[in-house]
Amino acid sequence: MPPRSRPRVAGFAGDACSLERCAIVGGGLAGLVAYAALRRGGVEPGEIAVFGEDPDPAAVWRRRAAAIRQRWMRSESDGHCLPSTFPGLAVRTALRRRSVRPLVASLLDRYHPSVTEFLDHVERVRERSGWDRSFRPWKVARVRAVGGGFELDGQGPFRHVLLAPGHPGLAMPPELAGDPRAVHAYEPHDYADEVAVVGAGMAAATEWLNALAAGASVVSVRRREPERRPLNLPRPLFTRRGLAAFHASSDAERVSALRRLSAASYPPGRAWDEPVAAAAREGRFRVEAAVDGAAQIVCATGFLRGFHHDQLLDDLVAEHGLRTVESWIAVDADSTVPELTDGTRTLALSGACAQWAFPGADTLAGARYAAHGFLRRVRRCRTR
Amino acid sequence: MSYTLRGRVETRLAVLAPTLAVACVLAAVLAEWWPLEAAALMAGVALALDVVVYHRLLPYQPGWLALPLGLVELGVVLVAMRDLGVRAPIAGAVALFAGSWLFGQLLVHAALPLGRLGYAEDGGELGRLGPALAVTAAVVLAAAGGFAYATRPPVVHLAAGEHAGPIVLDHRQKLVGEEGTIVRGGIRVTADDVTIEHVTVIGGEYGIEVEDAKDVALRDVTVLNARLDGIHVRHSEVTIEGCRILSPPAPYTQGIDVSFSIDLDESHVIGCTIEGGAEGIVTHSSTTTLMGNRVSRTTLRAIDMTEMSMGMIEDNEVIDTLGIGIFCGDHSECMIEKNSVVATRPDPGSDDLTRAGYGIVSHFGATARLDDNTVARSRGPAAFADGRIVGASS
Repeated sequence: MPPRSRPRVAGFAGDACSLERCAIVGGGLAGLVAYAALRRGGVEPGEIAVFGEDPDPAAVWRRRAAAIRQRWMRSESDGHCLPSTFPGLAVRTALRRRSVRPLVASLLDRYHPSVTEFLDHVERVRERSGWDRSFRPWKVARVRAVGGGFELDGQGPFRHVLLAPGHPGLAMPPELAGDPRAVHAYEPHDYADEVAVVGAGMAAATEWLNALAAGASVVSVRRREPERRPLNLPRPLFTRRGLAAFHASSDAERVSALRRLSAASYPPGRAWDEPVAAAAREGRFRVEAAVDGAAQIVCATGFLRGFHHDQLLDDLVAEHGLRTVESWIAVDADSTVPELTDGTRTLALSGACAQWAFPGADTLAGARYAAHGFLRRVRRCRTR
Repeated sequence: MSYTLRGRVETRLAVLAPTLAVACVLAAVLAEWWPLEAAALMAGVALALDVVVYHRLLPYQPGWLALPLGLVELGVVLVAMRDLGVRAPIAGAVALFAGSWLFGQLLVHAALPLGRLGYAEDGGELGRLGPALAVTAAVVLAAAGGFAYATRPPVVHLAAGEHAGPIVLDHRQKLVGEEGTIVRGGIRVTADDVTIEHVTVIGGEYGIEVEDAKDVALRDVTVLNARLDGIHVRHSEVTIEGCRILSPPAPYTQGIDVSFSIDLDESHVIGCTIEGGAEGIVTHSSTTTLMGNRVSRTTLRAIDMTEMSMGMIEDNEVIDTLGIGIFCGDHSECMIEKNSVVATRPDPGSDDLTRAGYGIVSHFGATARLDDNTVARSRGPAAFADGRIVGASS
């Protein structure tokens, strides 16, 4: 629930220059990436308002990573919150450790920062960027387009607004709703003697290993074999090489591609396969198509998908008549909302809700992509 | 990185533009064309590979792949330099390539991502900078090419018919004869950067004499009945291609003599036909490659690499010679490969043991390294007076 009184946003509401300012709705990692990009682009902290519920941009992510006991990032050296890919985390780690090993590993696409390293990095970006000077503890419930900008719950107007609301919630299989044995992977949990893990993505694979390490027997419940790929998406889809065809495709093709790309996957490698193979030989790991009588069911089934699960986005679409395609808001290639973006104002999306522009929008690279597009717009129509 | 085609080309141009600039400076400082020629070849090879090969085969290019791809490109550039006759020192060309490659790695992995926020997600595209780089590179290459064209040596056409010699070429030029052009009394070259083509020389003490000159090319020249040497080269760097020399049977006549140029770049004698005379091709204190020549009916030695010379004697045909076919003498280092030596006759007028009709002789501290030679109707390879033979011939 938002606080009852509106926050005082110094230099924003009612300010004669307020149309020059930027707002980021969402105080998570995507918001931090956008904030760091604006700062790199020369926008001062006093010109940016970040609206969120927790001043720690990693708060939500930290809880989820802790829930699945994640120790290593799936992302590589460039999986960080800064606006340029260089210097990446491998370079920073190499300098800190005075070792070339992270650099060599990065050249071989074998470098994955630890969760601890990543969280330290987030903390440093938060400190150095001035994030806390711009942060306003407020959950924005309504975005309304007004002349030359946007009002956020009546505050503003802000000329440039980026919405990074995060995932709208955890997805649970409907048949398991209310089942006392079921817990979502991203909620804190321990392991029973026999655990059924529903899903076949990165979180599910992590849970297999966690449960096996805890001495449990694991039943992997999945309808199809998971794909094995290093990153969430094929690498060309992180650059214009793959995106050009994606952007040029029809609505139906794009929907089909997004569905195909959202199929569960986790990285290849012995670290994933050997514990599972050993457990299978011992009879402690098997695959089933449906949940049976396991004592505990861990649902590694990801997040709710679609703008209509997010009240803010759902209202935005309804109120402003935004074009949607099935459960996606049809944003432009640079993640901006075409109906509400022109030479004088910008409304951009970042995170999972921007998948129409960038299939990997819910990754750090995706957040950076949206941030760059947002920064380009801000620079283009700065009037100072 | 997953490059787009445009990104690949623009990133490559970003690397090549400073390389071309460095090559221009080097060319000016060294007063040599090879840095620019090598840089232009590097650009051509790299862009061709980018467009034709890399873009199709590499939808994603991991960082480590830059090293093997760089080595492949270096190999292609060196081969192209050899085949196109770019006369660059290997070490210099490799250093230019390596410097460019290292600069490229720094640019691609650090400078461009740092300077252009969207560099990675744009697939290496550089926005407005890309076309500017393309124009810059094209202008630099066109300017260099134009300068080279404007400053090329003058071409002197020698009309068909007989001309009285000796003709002295004491400044850079290209002397081209028409069909039936004959010079009586010899040609003397004393300047760098001289080319002689399609000329027949008759008589003279030396048919063509080259002294203290570099970058001299003799192509498709014919020398008949010079009193001493058909082509006489002293302290010079020459390339002799496709010549024909007929020497009279006198005690001191030589087809080609390249001497005293060990301190200069390598000379080449390629694809010549030499008949008669005491010796066919002789080198003293020089570094030479003698390749694809046909030497016959000599009375002393057919091919002679001696007096601390070094070089390659490869793929030559030696026929019907008296005494010795191929001679490696006096502390020389000779790589003798894939030659055919046929019918070397013993010299009945000499009591010198080396002249007993040997196909290949290593003499007086010289080292002859043999590989895949054919010696027929001659005595086998032999070493005398501390000469050494490594390898064998059939």
